[in-house]
Amino acid sequence: MSEFTIAQRERESVQVLDLRGYLDAHTAPKLEEVFQALLKSQRYNIIINCKDLSYISSAGLGVFMAYIEDVRKNKGDIKLSNMSSKVYNVFDLLGFPLLYEITKDEQEAYNKFTGMLK
Amino acid sequence: MMKFRRFLFLGGAFFLLLVKFAVDVIRMNVELEMGGLMFLRELAAAGAFLLIFLALQATISSRTVNPVRRLGFLLVFVITLLLASILLNFLPAGGFDAKELVLLPLDYATLFLASLLGLIAGTFSLIILRFLKDLIFVSRKKGTLRNFRIFIALMFAAAISSLFFRPLESSSITYVLYALAIVMAFVNAFRMPWIVYLTKREKILTLVFSFFLFVLFVGVNTFLSQNDILSRGLAYYSRPIQECISLSLWFGGIFSGMAFVSTLFHLPTAEAFDRKRSEVASIHTLSKLVTQVFDFKELTETVTSMTMQVVEARSCWLELLPSEDESGGVHEPDDNLSGQTQIVGLKNITRAEIEDLLGSGLRYLRTTVFREGKPVVIDAVAKDPRFAGGPKGVHRPGSLVIVPLVSHVGPLGFLYATKETEYGFVKDDVELISTFADQATIAIENSRLINKSIERERLVREMTLAQEMQRKLLPQRLPSIPGLDMDAISTPAFEVGGDYYDFVRLSDHLIGIIVGDVSGKGVPAAFYMSEVKGIFQSLSGLYSSPRDFMVRANTVLMESIDKHSFVSLIYGILDTRTGRFQIARAGHCPMLHICESTSSYLRPDGMGLGLAGHALFQGSIEEQTLELSPGDVCVLYTDGVTEAHQGEEEFGYERLRVAAGLANGTPAAQVKENILQAVDDFLEKGTPHDDMTLVVVRWLGTPGQL
Repeated sequence: MSEFTIAQRERESVQVLDLRGYLDAHTAPKLEEVFQALLKSQRYNIIINCKDLSYISSAGLGVFMAYIEDVRKNKGDIKLSNMSSKVYNVFDLLGFPLLYEITKDEQEAYNKFTGMLK
Repeated sequence: MMKFRRFLFLGGAFFLLLVKFAVDVIRMNVELEMGGLMFLRELAAAGAFLLIFLALQATISSRTVNPVRRLGFLLVFVITLLLASILLNFLPAGGFDAKELVLLPLDYATLFLASLLGLIAGTFSLIILRFLKDLIFVSRKKGTLRNFRIFIALMFAAAISSLFFRPLESSSITYVLYALAIVMAFVNAFRMPWIVYLTKREKILTLVFSFFLFVLFVGVNTFLSQNDILSRGLAYYSRPIQECISLSLWFGGIFSGMAFVSTLFHLPTAEAFDRKRSEVASIHTLSKLVTQVFDFKELTETVTSMTMQVVEARSCWLELLPSEDESGGVHEPDDNLSGQTQIVGLKNITRAEIEDLLGSGLRYLRTTVFREGKPVVIDAVAKDPRFAGGPKGVHRPGSLVIVPLVSHVGPLGFLYATKETEYGFVKDDVELISTFADQATIAIENSRLINKSIERERLVREMTLAQEMQRKLLPQRLPSIPGLDMDAISTPAFEVGGDYYDFVRLSDHLIGIIVGDVSGKGVPAAFYMSEVKGIFQSLSGLYSSPRDFMVRANTVLMESIDKHSFVSLIYGILDTRTGRFQIARAGHCPMLHICESTSSYLRPDGMGLGLAGHALFQGSIEEQTLELSPGDVCVLYTDGVTEAHQGEEEFGYERLRVAAGLANGTPAAQVKENILQAVDDFLEKGTPHDDMTLVVVRWLGTPGQL
């Protein structure tokens, strides 16, 4: 019913995840798996591109909460970009902009990472 | 009663034989004409044997006839008859005086010999006939009884016809009847299908028995007809009885001869027949096994022990893959099948030996079996390069077969059998084991399904209980407060959910109203929901500011909540005297405030609870105060309402605002109904919804001024 896919890209030292479709309680484990793999291979600079993400539920938001601590402990970050207004509204309602860097586009997030690295 | 009757029969027979003996004694001393007395003599003999027959009938049961055992008995009787004849032959008797074709004993010894021989041979012939009848009737058909009766009738006819001739006179009519009876004996002896169904061992026994029976029958018959004193003795005793004895012995000879030939022909196929028969029997038993699914251990034991039996394997065992719910999915053919398999139903083999086989090459091999779904036979394990590995000196089977258990959802495991000899498994064996494997698959699957459904039923019962308990965590009834008109509803998407609403009376004119939502769904959400209730019940009384309550609640919740869960709350304190409504929002949906002519959302800043520590949270949250006008309506809800979606489209804030209408005196209950109806109309029938909670509060104005 609710399709959800994750495409993974590498931009130098930054991992980009392109999320597509519905991220809810059913599909959240998929994203968790990807996060686990990233942390295992010690890649902590992560951009979540939400361009094609059409819906996110509280369980979906929970995935980011579960890994942000570990990522930041390792001097990395999870940045989110390209959100539709609908998805942003969900993030905003819960106060996520206070916890995560949410940028208009992926390049902006990428620049922040590379600037940080330099 | 039976005993008495038998006694009566034998007594009568003895009396009649005595009468006959008396006539014979008189005849030795007085010259008698052939006539009335002679006829009486024959009649007495016939009557005596009839009574002996009746006594026999009462003794021998033909209820359950084991043909092989009957043949054995028959052998004993014929041997006894032969020995008796030989002994009588040596009796010092003078012989007979034969004049004008009539026989007369020369002395009493001869008379005694003839009488005893007649009695013994006659009785034994009766027994033999009786046994032969049972043997023929083992596989009785429509014509069986008729054919047997014809034989008996011809035998009697031959006997009676001989009555009209002198003892040594030959008569063509008797010969003809005699010959016809022998033909009928052949016809009767032709029906021996029971031989086919004997086991190999029984067939060999039958072959030996029937051979000796044939030799003995022919021997006794020849002896009784060729030996001078014996043949004359019988002829003197009674010509008809002699005919009957002779024909009975012929019949026995023909029958055993036929049995011998028939068994001989069936012997080469005996082994194959045995195997087929045991196959049919075991498959029949195995099909019953399908219903025997409650004891899993017993089921697997039966499967392996029967496989052993049918293919005469040295050892046998089952290896089961974890069932779907244990492994979390159907196995892909490229699984390496390491570890979690379960070895059960071991027969004649130890776990260590199986481990050795698995270690040396079986582990790889069964992956092939798994992938191809077809049995694999290793004809010579010792010479197979795939089994080259592993420690030396451990006992290895000669040959081995692996059969996959494949159900419609995927492979369940493997059935293994080994034999001591190399090339031990022929094509038939493999096919048979495959049939077994199929049956076993069905049985194992059924067993697992039943266990699963029992488990599911238990879960359903527990969830129903949990649902009932959670419902009790929500207000059982709305508080009745002067100046307020309220209504509320909460419907979980599953049995239990993470939505929460509650009311608390802080003073006679202050009421706290809270609506919350725990992230996620189902049981974990329900647990946090009950925790939120605990926090609300204990802390709400301590804080007169909703913001202060939220800050404290966050600190408490942060201690217990796991990283990826959080709670959104909206909490308002309403002063029913003034209409002052203080509201704090922690990541929750904005509150809808409806006035007489407009409606709008109130969305004070604030992040969800359990997301961040004290400092960050405290900095994020603000409190807003609304001054309500009498008649104003406030709608608090969870995202299940606004995020109810049909395809890509959500119900959304605007639809909610429109559905709630304006504050024109509509009672709270009606506003609630209108919103629910609008959500219902928006969703197509049957669309599942999220946890959904709705609280409607209408302030009527300062109590006492109404």
